[in-house]
Formats: sequence, C-alpha cells, structure tokens
Amino acid sequence: MKISRRNFLKGSATTLFLAGFNFPVLANSEKKKNLVVIMLRGGMDGLCAVPIIGDKNFEKRRKDLILDETIKLNSDFALHPKLKNFYNLWQNNLGTIIHATNIPYTKRSHFDGQNLMETGGHIPYSIKTGWLGRGMKLADLKGDGLALALPMPLLLRGIPSNDNFYPSKKRLPRTELLQLLKSVYTDKSEHDLANMMEIIANRSMMNNGGTSMSRKNSSLAYKAGLELKKINGPRVAVFEVDGFDTHAAQGGVNGSHSDSLIEMDSIFKSLEKGLGSEIENTLVLTLTEFGRTIKQNGGRGTEHGYGSAIFMAGGLLKKSQVYSDWPGLKRKELFEGRDLNSTIDARSIYASAMSTVFDLDFKRIQKDVFWGENLQNLSDKLFKI
Amino acid sequence: MKNFYRKVAFGLGPDDKTPSDPLTWAINQLKDIPEFSWKGKILSEKELRKYYRDYVYGDRKVLRKKFKNDKDGYKREKNKLRHATGQKFWWNLELCIRYSEALKSAKPVLAKLWYFWGNHFAISEKDFLAQYTTGAYQREIIRANMNQNFEKMAQEATIGWSMIHHLDNDQNVGPKSQEARWAREKGKTKGVNENHARELLELHTVSPDCGYTQEDIIQMAYIMSGWRPKWGKKRLETGDVHFNPDAHEPGTKIVLGKKYKNGRKSLSDAITDLVNHPSCRKFIAMKLCRYLITDNPTEEMMEPIIKAWEKSDGFLPEVHKAAIEVAFNYSDKYNKFQNPENWLLQMSKMADVDLIPSPSFMDLYKLGNKPIKDQRALERLMDELGQHPYLAKQPNGWSDISEDWMSPELLIRRLVYAREAYYRKSGKSQTPEYYEEMIKKNYDNPDEILKIIDQHKELVHKHVILFNLPETLKS
Repeated sequence: MKISRRNFLKGSATTLFLAGFNFPVLANSEKKKNLVVIMLRGGMDGLCAVPIIGDKNFEKRRKDLILDETIKLNSDFALHPKLKNFYNLWQNNLGTIIHATNIPYTKRSHFDGQNLMETGGHIPYSIKTGWLGRGMKLADLKGDGLALALPMPLLLRGIPSNDNFYPSKKRLPRTELLQLLKSVYTDKSEHDLANMMEIIANRSMMNNGGTSMSRKNSSLAYKAGLELKKINGPRVAVFEVDGFDTHAAQGGVNGSHSDSLIEMDSIFKSLEKGLGSEIENTLVLTLTEFGRTIKQNGGRGTEHGYGSAIFMAGGLLKKSQVYSDWPGLKRKELFEGRDLNSTIDARSIYASAMSTVFDLDFKRIQKDVFWGENLQNLSDKLFKI
Repeated sequence: MKNFYRKVAFGLGPDDKTPSDPLTWAINQLKDIPEFSWKGKILSEKELRKYYRDYVYGDRKVLRKKFKNDKDGYKREKNKLRHATGQKFWWNLELCIRYSEALKSAKPVLAKLWYFWGNHFAISEKDFLAQYTTGAYQREIIRANMNQNFEKMAQEATIGWSMIHHLDNDQNVGPKSQEARWAREKGKTKGVNENHARELLELHTVSPDCGYTQEDIIQMAYIMSGWRPKWGKKRLETGDVHFNPDAHEPGTKIVLGKKYKNGRKSLSDAITDLVNHPSCRKFIAMKLCRYLITDNPTEEMMEPIIKAWEKSDGFLPEVHKAAIEVAFNYSDKYNKFQNPENWLLQMSKMADVDLIPSPSFMDLYKLGNKPIKDQRALERLMDELGQHPYLAKQPNGWSDISEDWMSPELLIRRLVYAREAYYRKSGKSQTPEYYEEMIKKNYDNPDEILKIIDQHKELVHKHVILFNLPETLKS
C-alpha cells in the first residue's frame, strides 16, 4: 500500500471561494448526453468490489472474505475478479472508481439510508423528491427520465412525466379508452394520473416487440441503451440492483456479494451494447446507502458501515482512474473505529456529474438541488469538459 | 361516504346488503378472529418449515456435493427437489387463504387490517421464506394475535422463526459470550449482528422518532443475542427458536436508559418497555392513519387512536376500532390511493371476479408434481401487479405512500389486468344492470360514473374504465 492522505482543499471558505470563480459550463446543444444511475441496494461493500492492495489492517480484519485473483488497477487498488465488463471499460479509458465516499449519512439503517441516497438530504423522509429529479427539473428535462423498475424510484421524483419500463406480457387496451381516461383525469385535476396516461398512450416500447422481453437487468439495460441512443429518446435512466446486504455468507469470489456485483456488471455490458457509439456521450454511475464494516462478522458476512465506492463508466469520463482521498484503515482512521471513512461527499460526485451531463453550472446545482451545501466541483478532475 | 366501504374493506359485493349503519358494520368485524373461510387444506407453520428443511438440506448437503461436477444434473435434481417439497405450490395456497378472508368472509375489515399488520411485521424477500413459511407466519403469529394486545403480537413476531431467520438474529452472538470465546480459541471470530435489533426499534416498535442511538441498537442486539433456531445436522437452520445462553452476551444492558439484567427474560422485558414507549403508539397510530386515510396523517387523526391505545393498554380490537372511527370521520375529506393488492381485491369483490381457485381444485395438488398453471395463477398475478405480499423488497414492507405506486408501468398493469379479470366473471355479473347496481351501491356519484363509462359500448371496456377511474383508484 503506497497511498497516503493527500492534501485536499479543505474548509468551506476555500471551497466556496473557488466555486465562485467557476466558469459556467458552456451548453453544447449539438450532442445528446445521457446519465444512467444504478442504485445498489443493501449497502455495497466498496472494499469487496475494489479492495486495497497490501494493507495488513484490511487482511487481518476479514481474513475469510479476502478475494483471490483480483485484477490490479494500480499500485494501491484492485478490482473484484468478476467485474470483467467494467474492467473492459477501464482498459478503454471508460471506467472510474471513486473510493472512500458516501452520502453524509452515518446511522446505518437501510431505509433511512436509501431514502437519503435518493433525496440527497440529511433527515430521512423529510424530502419528497430525488436529487436526480430536481437536477432534471433544473435542466428542464421533463419527460426524459426512464426507470427500469416497476415502482417509480424516489430518485427520479421532482420532475413529472417520467417513464418506467418493466415489461408486461399483456396487451394494452385500445387507444380511445386510454384517451377517455386521460380526459377524465384531466377534468378531475388528477394531473399525475393524466401525465402517466399520456405516457402510456404514447408508449412505443410496448408495441415494437417489447412483449416477450425478459425483466433481467441485463436485458432491460440493452433496451435502455437502445432508447438512450435515440436522439428524441430519454436522457436519464435508473436501474436497481438488490441483494448487497450480505450479513451472512458474503463469501469470496463466488459468494453472495459477488452475485449482486455481477448483476451490476451485466448492466455495464448491456448498456454498452445497446448504446453502441453513444457510450461516448453517456455517463453511468452507481449509488448506494452505505458501505460495510471492514471486520467480518460471526456469519462470515459484514455489517452496515459507512464509506463505500462509486463506479462510473462511459465516454464522458476524463480517463480511467481510482479517485480517492484515502483515509487509511488503522483503527483511529476508521469511522467510529469500525468503518471505512468517507472523505468525499458522494453528492459532490453526483452534482459534478449532473453539471457535466446536463450542461448546468455546478453552482446552480449546488444551490437548487443540494440547498447550497458545501460540495466540491470535481468536474474537471473526473469528466471531459 | 360510500368510499368508506372501500377504505376500510374492499367495497360491497353482490351478496352484501348496504349496511344501515356503516360504522357499526365495520366495528362489528373487529372483536373476534373467526376460523378461516378457506375450506381447503391449511398447513401449520411447523409442517411448512419441515418442507423448507427438506429443501435446504437436500440442496445444500446432498445435491451440491453429489453434483459437484455436473451442473445440468444438479439443475435437474434441484427442480425435482423443489417439487418434492412443494416450493411452487404452498405460497399459492397461502394466497388463496389470504384472499378468501377479503372476498368470502364476513369480516373483510379484519382482513384489511390483517394485511396491514402482516406488512408492519414484514418478512421481506429472503431465501425461500416466501415460498414456504411467510404465509403461515402471517396466519399464526399476526392474524391470531389481532384480538390481543399489541405487545403479544410484538413478542411473538420477534421470536418467530421467520423473523429471527429473516433478520439474521441466528448470527447474533454476544462478543463476550461463551460461544464467542470458543470461536476465538479456534481462531475464529463471532460477534454481534445488529440487524434484528435495529428493525425491532426502527420498524416494529418505537421508530427513529424516539431518538435512540447506535449504542441503544448495539445494547438491544446484546439482549437479543442467543435467540436462534435450534441447530441440527438435518434440520440446519429450521429448528424451533430457543434461547441459547452460550451465545448470550453477559452483563447488564441499557436500552433507552433502562437497565436489563443478563439472561433469557431480558428480551421480553425490553419488548414490554418498547411497546409501552409513547413513540411506539404514536408510530403505530400514524401508520394506521397512513394506511387507511392519507399519506400525511395529522395530529388530530392520530390522537383518538393513541388515546384508545393508552386506555386499553394497546388492546388491538380497541386500537382498530378507534382507527376505523377516524377513517369514517375523514372518509369524505380524504381519499387514499390504493395499493395494487387492495385495488385487485376491491375489483374482485365489487365486480364478482372469480379470483381465487376453488379449494377442491387446489387440493388436487400432489407433492412431487409441478403445480398446474391455474394453481399458480395468484402468485403470478401479484407479481405482475407489482405487489406480491410475501415478497416485499425490504424489511419495512410494502410502501403505504401513494406516490410509490404511481408509475406508468404500474398503471398499465391495472389496465391490462382489469381486462383479464372481466373474463373471469360469471355470466350473471356480465350485464349492464349488474354494473349499474354495483356502482350505485359503492360510489357517491353513480350518475357521473355511469355517464363516463357509457361512452364505451362494450361491457368489458366499461369495466376497465370503472376500475381505473380516480374514484376507484383512490378510496
């Protein structure tokens, strides 16, 4: 392990001062740029996905969970050996990892944590919209969101008329009937219902062969890739991967945590296939509620922790890199003596990503999406501007 | 006012007379827990757990070893094992039992509240719990305690096999316990698993509103350490739950400022204190209002329920009565967007949809066989509608917030399955007269509704429109 804590710009005054001199990002209306968010539910173990190399504190604390044959990314970090598709992107300069990062939530409840990872706030259940929905609203992207899930994720709320796709095998009723319902909804001021009926009536996906589609994330991702590729298609897509909450039998390379990571990896692959060359204009990133304890528990699993990692992929990335202000794993360096610390507010990454993909000034996102909180603009470090 | 019948139950069916006093009609359904109206086979949780045992043992201990180098053989034999243990059948039978209470019993209000409690003490998707035991858990621990104090339900749910397994308490070992010491001697580590303790506080009793800390959770986990299924070579993790002192953390624990002595009794003492904490009754009152009335309950709505709780020491029939009264008083002012399951049951009840396979048909099933398609219809339907009651994604159960059920894809399901349901009706309910009467019985604005649906000629289209009108989606 060679990495040590770098000197990051600290303190709100400095950050705000610098933020004040940001040049507004110039809108590039030529290209349609896409943002894809993969929500990893249950608490993704950043240290299982992207282990640190040669750290005795790490190896000692989870000796039964250390992976064999990891893929070396640089002198400090390796990649889980099953993340082959991500590694492929990495080799083409299309993959980045942010390590030791999390939303500013430290209390270890899935429900509160997942609520906050989607709202971007501090008090669970107090905010009714998602950071992505608010960012899309700021960018005026009404009707441009697509969730590949059956309920509409909180993350996308804040802008109306999002679509979701999770194919049904049955035929829709005739158009006249849908139109009648839409007009009834409108008459009764049921605007949310009216908006949804509008989407349903216009749905093209269902009719062109969507009937026999599988609901596996890998096939949904291929479909989403094709839609995102269209010039008038959606610009934002949201996926969900469950099963990261491995309190028991987390296992090694073939354990339960790996299964969920492999599912995430399949999304990268299918998206790339569906998007074709448009992967160049797309940014994919992950989101989770917290990482997991460094120490393995009695059941060869891990408990709810704090710091985790973010995966990013696509052609809008500056280069392949592990970007981290590594806090270290000695006891005193751990959060509450047990968890990987978070040295980068994950919301800084999300705000910078939206700034890049939606062509919005970072400061506006900081102010209107994240209530003017102290976030770092990392656009020039992570993304092509 | 007529939305009250849908708000607290599933509307009025063809055989239901319009009650002269709706509130009394509803309240009279709360006192006793009748026999199940399902007349077919009903298995006990213990019997079902044995099938679960045979499945996990057969898979883990036999097939995985036997077919170590034969992936296809493994797959084939595992499928046989699934059918030999009824894996694809039992949960369909459970859904029949569950929905009979809504559609065929004399107490649909009780059924709607049963679903509430099953979701409050949710067993979410984990391993094969849903396929074998979740339905039985909801019958034997949840429904059976609906005429008891909340405390009894909480005590039994907490040490129920399903809950202990679901929330990993079998992995929860006191770090200073005998068992942890033995593990250390062998160079292994065993320690605390906080999952169950956290959910007991957060989801089942006091909620984060009471202001507990991470230390309270750890202390609660210490209290819970040692509660686990009796392990056996053949039964693996499916033995009855017992208290194993070897795995229990020694010493006094403190949760929310109260001290608990070391030992078996500390868990039930701690639960007694949790259910009597003011935050607990407030939390339950809020959730009941949210389920029955509106996403954002007011203090005024919650107050009578909290009072009834205090007066009756959390006696559930009294708590339910208060909640139903509040729902009645607010029925004209608030409409609640119904979740897919409640929506389906309302449609089935009011339009006389033949939703549930007959007991004799379900009882034709023979262990070892693959169940036939129609025996699996309910499982598939609930999955399609987006709310299989035994497959909630997280231990907080299915959401009671309207917005979580509002999406194009979910609305599509209601459109297409309303149509499917129409063709599962008897001929006598496929007449315009039937619809006219049903609408008059169940809606406050029948003339307006009839005018809207009359814009389409075919009855099946009228049916689809009716069950997707705002008046039906929200009640």
